[in-house]
Formats: sequence, structure tokens, C-alpha cells
Amino acid sequence: MMDSINVDITHLKKGEVSLGTSIMAVTFKDGVILGADSRTTTGTYIANRVTDKLTQIQGKIWCCRSGSAADTQAVADIVKYHLDLYKATNGKEPTPHLAASIFQEICYNNKDNLSAGIICAGYDEKKGGEVYNIPIGGSLHKQDYIIAGSGSVFIYGYCKKNYKKDMTKDETVSFIKTSLSQAIRWDGSSGGVIRMIVLTKDGIERLIFYPEEYENA
Amino acid sequence: MTSIGTGYDLSNSVFSPDGRNFQVEYASKAVENAGTSIGIKCKDGIVLATEKIIASKLLAPGKNKKIQTIDRHVGVVYSGLIPDGRHFVNRGRDEAQSFKSLYKEPMGLEGLISRLGYFVQAYTCYNSVRPFGINAIVGGIDDSGSHLYMVEPSGVYWGYMGAATGKGRQAAKAELEKLDLPNISCKDAVKEAARIIHLVHEDNKDKDYELEISWISKEETNGIHKFVPNDLLEEAKKYAEEEAEGRNDSDSASGSDSDSDEDME
Amino acid sequence: MNHDPFHWGRPSQGTYGDYNYNIAHASNVDKSNKSNSEFPKMHTQQPMITGTSVIAIKYNDGIVMAADNMGSYGSLLKLDDLQRIIPVGSNSVVGISGDISDFQYLERLLDDLEVEDSYDMENENLKANHLSEYLTRVMYNRRSKMNPLWNAIIVAGFDDNDELVLKHVDLLGVAYSSPTLATGFGNHLAIPLLRQKVETEDDAAKLTKEEAIKTIKDCMKVLFYRDARSWDKYSLCVIEKSTKSIKIEKDVKVEGMKWDFAQHITGYGIPQQ
Repeated sequence: MMDSINVDITHLKKGEVSLGTSIMAVTFKDGVILGADSRTTTGTYIANRVTDKLTQIQGKIWCCRSGSAADTQAVADIVKYHLDLYKATNGKEPTPHLAASIFQEICYNNKDNLSAGIICAGYDEKKGGEVYNIPIGGSLHKQDYIIAGSGSVFIYGYCKKNYKKDMTKDETVSFIKTSLSQAIRWDGSSGGVIRMIVLTKDGIERLIFYPEEYENA
Repeated sequence: MTSIGTGYDLSNSVFSPDGRNFQVEYASKAVENAGTSIGIKCKDGIVLATEKIIASKLLAPGKNKKIQTIDRHVGVVYSGLIPDGRHFVNRGRDEAQSFKSLYKEPMGLEGLISRLGYFVQAYTCYNSVRPFGINAIVGGIDDSGSHLYMVEPSGVYWGYMGAATGKGRQAAKAELEKLDLPNISCKDAVKEAARIIHLVHEDNKDKDYELEISWISKEETNGIHKFVPNDLLEEAKKYAEEEAEGRNDSDSASGSDSDSDEDME
Repeated sequence: MNHDPFHWGRPSQGTYGDYNYNIAHASNVDKSNKSNSEFPKMHTQQPMITGTSVIAIKYNDGIVMAADNMGSYGSLLKLDDLQRIIPVGSNSVVGISGDISDFQYLERLLDDLEVEDSYDMENENLKANHLSEYLTRVMYNRRSKMNPLWNAIIVAGFDDNDELVLKHVDLLGVAYSSPTLATGFGNHLAIPLLRQKVETEDDAAKLTKEEAIKTIKDCMKVLFYRDARSWDKYSLCVIEKSTKSIKIEKDVKVEGMKWDFAQHITGYGIPQQ
């Protein structure tokens, strides 16, 4: 299905490495925590069982990626470039809202070619923790917490009933751990370890939880 | 200007042997003779004002506004060639709009003024163009507070607490320095702006003028650039006239009539 | 009868048979020089997150409009806090249903329009009639590029003479006006109810504001009963000509639902316990 000039990549798209995923980001009293599983699949084969789906865009602005691995990495890299440029030309630190807006712009303008569902989360020095959802299609939604990816559909009910505003860090970590462990339990495309990133005014902290621990959470 | 006639003043983008760009300096001359404009940075916002010289009695009063809006939160007033000012403002609008289309938030004043600075500067570098014949005072509010800048024909810009340009700039600057900047409130600044414009106009009394004042304030206008309401403008004018009379009474040396309808060009 | 946003703008099944989804899923790679190309270059087009009906009715002194807060993703009721009725300047509101990313794009276009209107610092020149014409052109231009904005829009407000404007514009760039309007599912469920009250402009001239609000609220209730993509929280916009006011009330709850008759309904025909 190709000639010397045009290559039809649609059949390649179908076999693409994808992040059939369980990801989430939750605001709490002191900031925001991002969480993700670590499974990457091509079809039913696990291409990577220890993936890091939490990507740093800039300082305390991070994102969780779901959808095509290649697409979301490319988009994240482009957003990173825009934020570097913004910092240089405007002489101030970009905010999580700004990063989310650029994600949105790219995902919207290229909606025909991208399969990317992105959660953009960050700690804003003025406003505290913030999470933005950029689902497939390229709309932008500010929320208190977000769950996304193929595994998320199994935990909508659990999260709605158990999320509380202004939780402590420990409460939030345990909320994410329980939520993701259930998503992993019921979604074949999610699995491996649970990774988290904690963003507060004090800095950036990375957490990791192994199956033997979170399965009992 | 000793260098006139040497040929170094005929073109943009050519330095004279002593390192000057005469076209830029001539552009500033165009500003120096134009109606006075001022900007005041206040504790809760920005006030812009201008003395609009009435060039003909046939011009419709209250029309022909000179102060312009770049974005909801940014206002501009300039002294100099009006078409140049309009071109400058249009560029500001384009910059603000394209910023917002990418970043989904209003453009910060520092970012905007730096882009406009580059824009004005570019007009000093090419043979095919001439520099802007304006000094533009750009003021506005963003998430880091209120800001006031003035851009000159060379493209240089500075941040100010009180800015003045045009014919009456020297006297206006002296008056601005007496104000308690930036602790003055916008409401008071409107009155002071009217007083200053009224005062500096006295040296140019043979020509009528119209006073234009706009403001951008979190409290008064919800962060949006607007003309001040008519009653406040009238109050400010009255204050300006009273102050002027008070000054004339105490300073009996200058007792000229305020009637100056005659002598239109 | 299928007014799910996924089916908007597609040839009717009765006339043309089943819709060929290869069209919506066609490759966007340019195959114009290929002999085996089944379709020309295509953009997407299926909506992802969608908003359901917007409904509106005229009364003797204005217009009442409503749209719920739901953004659904297929059958997943994903977002429950969308505001789909937005003011544009102080003379108009637009209610938008269909794809939410396109809705947000339209929101940005309208915001730019508002800023351009504010360049004239003395007058507000942007009126509802301009807005509906502008949106019709935007929608028609996009459909002509085979890349429509997947929305149906109701514009309401005042024109240059402060007269009422109520217009419907959709993804094909088709525009029409009527004293009762609805998008999507509302066309089936709400329009008959609205037309019981207001069939013609003359009927609208007799309807009071209170009756209009009640009619719209009843319609939102019926939509919540019968539209599987609807939600029980909605925005209610009331436009009043005599005071020239436009008010949007947010998070109005569907009230007065009846469910208790369910206890008398058992089995499906054969008597049982």
C-alpha cells in the first residue's frame, strides 16, 4: 500500500505501541500527585512492563500520557520546547495552565492524526496544585482530580465516592494507590508497578509501589 | 544639528561618523511638537491621558478618539504622527491575539512591550522604511500587577511610574514627580491627569484642545481598559480649572484670559 | 430517529442505507494519485466528547434558553460541570451542543470577536444578528473544507434595533429561525412540547415569562427522563426585552420528577409478585 512518494501509515498505526493505561492526577492540600501504572502493550504483548508514563515538562509541571506512545512523547517534547521558549521570551515561569493550554492547542489542531489523552498537572506557586484534562479530540478541562486511560473506566465509581477535597499527602497517596490497583486488577492493558510524582511547594518527590504491596492496598 | 547637510541624516540604517542615527532623532522631533500625553501608574491600576489639539473647528467634538485599546487589559496613548500610532497599535493587537491563541491567557505587559520594542526597532534598520514618529505610552494590568511603559522611536522602552511625552512633557514630568506614585488611587490620578494636561496646555493656549482620559483598574473597571465615565471626566475638568484659577490668583503676574477660540490655523 | 451527535450531518439511513463508516475512518494520508484510493483526502470526523440538546422558546418579552452541564464520551457520562450557554458581549448568548473541543474552539473565536469589538471603546457594536451570521459563515466554510465543526448552535439576543434574535446554525452551515428551537435530541422530544405552547410568533406574543420558564423546565425534565446522554443539572438563560437584560442561572436542578408509579409496574405482561 505504498508508492515512492506516499506512504500509507494507517496499517502501521494499528500495530502501534500504545499505552493502554491507568493514569490519574489528584490535587490535595499541599499540591498535586500524579500516578500511573507501568504497562505498555502492542496488541496483547507487553512491550515494556516497567514504563515511566509520568513525564516532566518543566520543573513542577508534569503530565501523564495515554494513547499512542509515539504521539504523546512527540507532543510532550513540543510542549517542553514551547515552555522553554516562553520562559526565555517572557522572562517568567510558565504556569500549569499555560502548559495545559499548549497541550490542548496541539491536540486540537492535529486531532485527525493523534491518539493522545493527556493529563497535565502541576504546582502553581500562586494557586497551588492544579490538574487539567486534555482528552482525545483536544478539549481542555480543569478538574479537582482526573482519571484517564483504558483502566480508568473501572474506577469512576470508586473515585467519585472516595475523593475528598484538601486531603493530606498520605491520604492522597493511599487514594491513588487503591484506585490504580483496582484499575490494574480489572484492565488487562494496565499493570506492573505504580509510579507517583508528588508536587508541592517543597519540591518534587518520586514514589514507587510494587505489586506485592499495592495488591493488598 | 551640525551634521545636517553631511548626508548622514538622509537615510535610515546609516550611522554618522560620530555614531548617531539621525532619522531616529528626527522622528523624536516629530514627537516633541505634538500634543502632550501622560500615563500614571497607580496603586490599583493605570491612568492614561492626552491633550488632543483641535486642528480645525470643523472636526466633530467628542469623535476622533486618540487613546486606543490593544487588548481588554492594555491601553495605549501616544504623541506624534497619528497614522504611525495606529500602525503600532495594530501590531500590538496582532501580538496580543496570537499570544492568546497559543497560551489561552491574556498577554503579560512585559512580553507585549518587548515584542513592540522589537517591532519599533526594526523600523530603524532598513533603508525602505522610516522610524515611527511616536512616543507610545503603553499601560495595563496582568497577573503580576499594573505596568506602565513608554516606547521611543529608537525602539527603546522603559518602565515608568509616571510617563509624559509630547510638547508639554517637561512641565508634565515635573508635576508627575510631585505626585505620590505609585500610591495614588486611580480616581485621584484621573483628576491629577486632567490638571496636568490643563496646566501644560497653557503654553500652547492659541490652540483649543480636547481632554481624553482612560483607565484600567481592578476595582474601577474590573481590569478592563475603558474611557473614564463622563461625570468623572467633568469632575476632573472642573478640578483642573479650579486648580488653574487658584494658581493664577496666587500668581497675579500671569492673568491672561482663558478665552482662546480665535487663531485657528 | 437518531439525533445522537455521532449521526449529525450524515445521509439519512432510510434513503441511503447504512452509513459507511469507512468514510469517517478514511485515511487522512493523501491518496489522490493512487488508483486504489477508495476515498479522497478526509479529515476526521466523529465527535469525541459531546454535549446534548440546547432548547429555546420565545415569549412575549424575550427568550428562554436551556442546556445541561453534561459532556459525554460515548455512553460514559464523563464531565458534569460544562457551561454550554455562554454570553458574547452584552447583547447575545449562544448555546452550543455537539463536540466539546469544537465548542471550546468556537468559544475562543467568539472571545476574539469580543476583543475586536472592544477596540471601539465607546460603543458595543456586536449584536446577535451579526453573531448568527458570523457563525453561519464559519460553519459553512468548515463544512465546505470537508472538515466541519461538529456542533449545532442556538444564538439568542438583540439585534441593532434591540429586537429579539433567535437562530439555529448547524455543522452544515444551515441556518433558520423559529419561535421555538432545539438542537439534537431536543428536536424530537422538546420541540413538540414547545410547539404546544408556541406554534407561531403570535403565540409567542401571548406567552408570559413565567409560562416560558416553566415550559423550558418541563422540557429539560422530559429530556432527562428520555435522553440517555442528558443530565439533571443545567444552565437557564432568560432574555428580557423590556429591561434589555440577559441573565444566565447556573446549576439549575431538574425538579418535580415522578418515579413512584414504578412500584405498580411489575413483570412485563404475565402477572407476578
